[in-house]
Amino acid sequence: MNPTLKDMQLSTPTDTTIVIARSFAAPRRLVWEAMFTPDKMRRWMLPPPGWTTTTCECDPRVGGALAVAWKSDEADPAMTLRGVFTEVVLHERAVHTETMALGSGQVIGSLVEQHEFTERGDITSMRITQTYASKEARDGAIASGMSEGMEACYKQLDAVLTG
Amino acid sequence: MVLDASPRLDLVFHALAHPARRAIIRQLSGGERNLSELAAPLSMTFPAATKHVRVLEEARLVRRRVAGREHLCRLHAAPLKDAMLWTEQFRRNWEVRFEALDSLLDEMKSEEQPRSRRR
Repeated sequence: MNPTLKDMQLSTPTDTTIVIARSFAAPRRLVWEAMFTPDKMRRWMLPPPGWTTTTCECDPRVGGALAVAWKSDEADPAMTLRGVFTEVVLHERAVHTETMALGSGQVIGSLVEQHEFTERGDITSMRITQTYASKEARDGAIASGMSEGMEACYKQLDAVLTG
Repeated sequence: MVLDASPRLDLVFHALAHPARRAIIRQLSGGERNLSELAAPLSMTFPAATKHVRVLEEARLVRRRVAGREHLCRLHAAPLKDAMLWTEQFRRNWEVRFEALDSLLDEMKSEEQPRSRRR
């Protein structure tokens, strides 16, 4: 496999979206299974250092639930992720809602996540589109230098921090 | 997907999400300024600038001290360092996940292989 195929593409096509694209050297069926089967999800949905995944449930059918919970030394749960699948075309396309909350129940972010899988030869391209409620929510979530304003800001900040 | 956001980082990102507040941070990167000095280049009223400074204060990005009749603001960069590390983390989190997915998929493929092709 051409190593550049495994490069991750990150983009923000609109004010409220983030697109994450990546190719995998595996058939679409297996990528789907890896993405949406709980015992497989535990292998890649890695929590921050020191955290443990306590719950991982995923039912990729319309109306099916997504539920993940993590615990830390201080809190159990430290954070939860809950969602519901709203569109599913097996091995091709899945859309689910997603709400992240702290252990206290305080919601820290909500988004809609769409996954599209296309297969060409031995390669599967996965495209994840995250849609947030507002630009602020999107910028907060990604906070990378990709949108113009933020990029300029971070360049400045870089200078401040290193200076 | 945000794994390691803390309420404090939420405040930092909320603070950074407004261009006026980023402009204030830029100004403060040049040193201490009073509120009028911050408001002027933004063509902003004094109360509006004060409101933005308060948001920056809540995120602990700006510290304010009162000297006589002046409110002097200065940049406190420490939360930005956390935020920038976390920023880089968004991309890195996904890259790390995808690398884990690569290994997982290799395993899944080789589990399917032996049935058809035995050595």
